[in-house]
Amino acid sequence: MKRIIACLMLVCMLFATFCGAAFAEGEDAVQSALTAAQSMSNEELYEKAKEEVAAGAQLNFYSTTSFAEKAADNFMAAYPELAGKVIYAEIDDGETYTILQNTIGSGVENSADMALTQNGSDLRTFMLDEGLTYSYFPDMYKDVVPEEFQSPAVVTFIDSLFIYNNTAGDIGLTNVWQLTEPAWSGKVFFKDPTNETVNINFLIMLTSPEWTERMAAAYEAYYGEPWASDEYESASYEWIDKFLANVNYTYTSASDMAKGIASGAGGNLGLFVFSKLRKVDEADRGNLTVVQFNNEVEGFSGFMYNVYATVAKDTECPYTCALFINYLLGEEGFAGENSWNSSQGYYSPNSSIAKPEELEDEAYDYWSDKLVFEDADYIYDNYADVFEYIAVRVGN
Amino acid sequence: MHEKKLSHRMKAFFSKPSNILLVIFLTVLFVLSVLPLLTMISNMFTVHIGTEKKLLRLPEGSFTWNHFQRLFPVSEWSVVNFWKPLGNSFVVAIGAGVLGILIGGTVAWFITRSNMKYKKFISAVFVFPYMMPAWTLALFWINVFKNSQVGGGNVGMLESMFGICMPEWFVYGLFPMVIVIALHYSPFAYLLIGGILKNMDATLEESATILKAGRFKIIRRITMPIVMPAILSTFLLIFSSGFSSYTVPVFLGSAVKTFTLSTKMRALINAGYQGQGYIIAFVSIALGCFILGLNQWVTGKRKSYTTVTGKSGQVSLVDLKKANTPLSLLLCAYVLFFAIAPLISFALESVIRQPGNYHLSNMTLHFWIGTEASAYETGMISGILLNPTMWKALGRQVLLALIVAMIVGTSGMLIGYSCVRQRGSRLSRWVESMAFFPYLMPAMAFGTIYLAVATSQGFKFLYGTFALLILVASIKFLPFASRSGINSMLQISPEIEEAAMVVGVPWWKRMVRIMFPIQKSSILSGYLLPVISVMREVALFTLLVPYARYLLTTMLFSFNETGYSQYGSAVTLLIVLIIILINTLTNKLTGASFDKGIGG
Repeated sequence: MKRIIACLMLVCMLFATFCGAAFAEGEDAVQSALTAAQSMSNEELYEKAKEEVAAGAQLNFYSTTSFAEKAADNFMAAYPELAGKVIYAEIDDGETYTILQNTIGSGVENSADMALTQNGSDLRTFMLDEGLTYSYFPDMYKDVVPEEFQSPAVVTFIDSLFIYNNTAGDIGLTNVWQLTEPAWSGKVFFKDPTNETVNINFLIMLTSPEWTERMAAAYEAYYGEPWASDEYESASYEWIDKFLANVNYTYTSASDMAKGIASGAGGNLGLFVFSKLRKVDEADRGNLTVVQFNNEVEGFSGFMYNVYATVAKDTECPYTCALFINYLLGEEGFAGENSWNSSQGYYSPNSSIAKPEELEDEAYDYWSDKLVFEDADYIYDNYADVFEYIAVRVGN
Repeated sequence: MHEKKLSHRMKAFFSKPSNILLVIFLTVLFVLSVLPLLTMISNMFTVHIGTEKKLLRLPEGSFTWNHFQRLFPVSEWSVVNFWKPLGNSFVVAIGAGVLGILIGGTVAWFITRSNMKYKKFISAVFVFPYMMPAWTLALFWINVFKNSQVGGGNVGMLESMFGICMPEWFVYGLFPMVIVIALHYSPFAYLLIGGILKNMDATLEESATILKAGRFKIIRRITMPIVMPAILSTFLLIFSSGFSSYTVPVFLGSAVKTFTLSTKMRALINAGYQGQGYIIAFVSIALGCFILGLNQWVTGKRKSYTTVTGKSGQVSLVDLKKANTPLSLLLCAYVLFFAIAPLISFALESVIRQPGNYHLSNMTLHFWIGTEASAYETGMISGILLNPTMWKALGRQVLLALIVAMIVGTSGMLIGYSCVRQRGSRLSRWVESMAFFPYLMPAMAFGTIYLAVATSQGFKFLYGTFALLILVASIKFLPFASRSGINSMLQISPEIEEAAMVVGVPWWKRMVRIMFPIQKSSILSGYLLPVISVMREVALFTLLVPYARYLLTTMLFSFNETGYSQYGSAVTLLIVLIIILINTLTNKLTGASFDKGIGG
C-alpha cells in the first residue's frame, strides 16, 4: 500500500513539475512575443495575428468602458481576417481585479487575454506585481506618447469635472475651498469614493506634496491667511474632511448624476465624468455648465485618470493583443467612427491625435494645470493610509 | 458478532428510503455548501494580495488576526465600518422581517379565512413585488417620492401630480429600506403562512367556537401556534435577505449616508480589505444561524404541526360583515399601489426621453424597438426587443431558471420528506441545517467564493460555463425549496403514508400518488420560488458570468449602474412579465400557481 502511495505521489510531483514548467514556458513565450511585437509594423503583426487565429486563438478582452466595444468592431473591420475573433466582455469597475486576479493564469477557458482597466495603483498591485499581466508598448508610438504613459500603456485619459445646474444662475465657484463651507452642505454631488476607485484615487492624490502645497495656496487665496491647523495633517486633509462632510451621495452612477443634476435643483454641483454629458437628454443639456468653461477655479476644476491596456500572461494570442493596442493608440482606433474621440472627456495619450473642434472640449494639454492627475506610484505607496482616512469620513 | 450486529443495523438503516436520501444530501451539501463556507472562514485569517499584503508586510496567504483586531475593538474605523452599519442592518432586517410577516400574514389570513371580496385579484397580484428585483422596487420608491426638497431636488411622481413633498427620512434611509424589503418579501410570508392556513384542519377552530372561545382567542391560541413554523421560517428568510441585501441600501441609503454591513462588505473587499469583508459576511451568517437555531428549537419543542390528517373538514370563513367592502377596497388599493403601479412606472420610464417629463411629446419607443444608433448614446445599437444580445441573455436566464427549478424543487421535496420522516435524528437536523446554510451566506460572498473555487486546480473546467451558474444557483436557492418541502411535509400525518405501507405500496409510488398530490400547491411553490429567484438574481451571478450582458439580470444591473435607466425599466418590465407568464403557464398546465396554492 505504502509503495502504491509513494508511486502515486511521485507521479503527481512529476506531473506538477511538468505542468509548472510548461506553464512557465508559456509565460516566457508571451513575454518574448510582446518584446518582439514592439518593433514590428502593423502589417507584420497582422500576419502573426492571422497565424494565432488560424491556430484557434481568439482575443477575449475585458473592459469597463462601452466605447471599447465599438473600438473592437472597428478593429475587426480594419483587419477583416480577425472578424469574430475579438470578444469584448464588459465588467463592472469594482469587480474588475477580482475577476482578473482569479482567472488569469488559472487556465480556465475564455479568460481574459488583455484588459483595459482604470486605477493604475490596483493594476500594479493586483496584476503587474503578481506577474498576471504584462505591459506592452509599441516602438512606433514612442515619440508621440510621453514615456510616463508607456509602461503600462495608457490608451485613453478620462476627466471628471465640476459641472453645475445653471437654472438658478452662476454659482460663482472660483475656489475649491468654497465647497467646504456650510452653504454647500448637501448641494455638491460626488460618487461614494469607497465604491468608486477613481474617486478615491483623486482624493489620495490631493495628499501628495505637490497638491498639498497647491491646496494651501488656494486656502490662502480664499481666506486671506496661510493655512495652519493642529487638527489636520495638511491643508489637503482638511479639505477632504470638510468636502466629504458636504457631499451628497444621492446618485450612484455618473450618468444618473449628470441626468439628475441637469433636471434637478438649480445651483447643484457635481464632480463627475465629463463624457456622461452625452447621456443627458438634449432638452436638459443646456441646464449644465462646466465650471472651467465659465471661469478659472483656484485649486482645481476636476481630475483626470487613465485607462491602461495590459496583456494576460497566459494569452494564446500576444501578437493579436499587440496589434489591438497599436490600433487603440493610433488615429484609426482612437478617432474612428463612434470611438473615444467622438465624445467629450476622452483624450488620447498620442499627441498627434487632436480633439475634434466641434466638441465643447479642449485638448489634453489644456487641462494639465487645471486638473488633479493620477500618479499611480504615489497612490500605490499611500493608498492604505489615506483610504482609511477617507473611508471613516464617508461613513460618518 | 459485533460486525454482524453492525451489518444488521446498517441494513435496517438503509432499508428506509428517507435515510438513503439523507446520506446522499448530507454528502452533496457538505461538498457544495460547507466547504465553500470553510474557504470563507480561512479567508478571515489570511493575508491577501494587495492592500493587506502591503499594510501588514506579510506574504500572501500568511495567518493573521489583524482583520479581527481592526474590525471589532471600538475605534473610529470599526465604528464606521462595522458597528454603525451593523446597527443599521439589524434595524433593516428585523424591521423588514416583522413588517413583512405582518403584511403577508394578514393578507394570507384575509384570503384564506375570511369572506373578503376580490380574493382572486388580490391573491394574484399580491405576489408581484416578489417577482421584481428588490432594487427595482427601491427605484420605484425613489421615482414616486423624490422631490425638490430632498436628494438632488429632482421632482418625483407624487410631487409632480399632487405637489406633495415627503420628508427626507421617508424618501431615503432606514425607513424606506425596511418598507421596500418588507414589501418585496411579504409575498413570501403570504405564501408560507397562507399555505398552512389553507390546509389547516378547520375542526380545531370549530371546536373552539363550540366551546365559545372568542375570535381573537382562537387566533392567538389555535391559529398562531399552527402557523408558528411558517412565521419563524419566514422571519428567518426575510431577516437573512434583509441583512445581506446590498442593492436596496445602496439606492436608498447613499443619499443620507446610511450604510449597512453588506454595503461595507463590498466596499472593503473592493478596497483590498478582503479579510474584514469576509468577517462581515461571516457575521451575517452567524446571525442567520442563531435565528435558524431558534427556529429549530421552537419547532422541535412542539412536535406536532400536523394540519393535514386525512380527516379534515370544511374550512369555515370568517364573515367580515360591514367591514368587508372597505377592507377589500383598502387591500385592492394596497396591491394596486405596490404591485401594479411599479409596473406602470417601469412602462412609463421605459418610453420617456427626458427624466421627469411625462408628456406625450417626450415619449419614444426607441428603447424597445429603435433600430438605429440613437443620439442618446445608448450603448446598444437598437431597442431591447430588436437586440440579439438581449434575446440571448433572456434565453439563458429562462433556461437557467427552469433547470435550477427542476433540480432545486425536486431536491427540496425529497429533503422535506426525509427530514420530516426522520425528524429528531441527528442526520435529519444536519441535512436540514445544511440545506438552509447557503441562504445565510450573502449572495455576493457566495459568488466570490465560487469564483475562487471555479478558478482553482481541479475545477477550472467550470469557470465561465453555464453549468457553474446552474450549480451555484441550485445551491443558493435550495433553502427556499427545502423550507417549502419541510413545511408541507410537516403537515402530512405519517399515518397516511403508513397506511399505504401496510398495503405494500412502494416508496416511489407513495411519493407520486400520495405525498405529492396532497401537498401539491406547497410543493409546486418549491419549484416556482427558484424560478422567480433565478429570474431576478444579480449579486450571485455578477462575478460568475463571463461578461455583464450574459444574463438578463446582470445586463439590467449594468444598465441601472451606468445610467441607461430607460433600458433598465424596459428589461425590468420584461422580467416581471415573463415571471407572470411562467406562473400563468404553470397554472394552466398543472392547476397550481402561487395564488392558487393558498386560496384565491
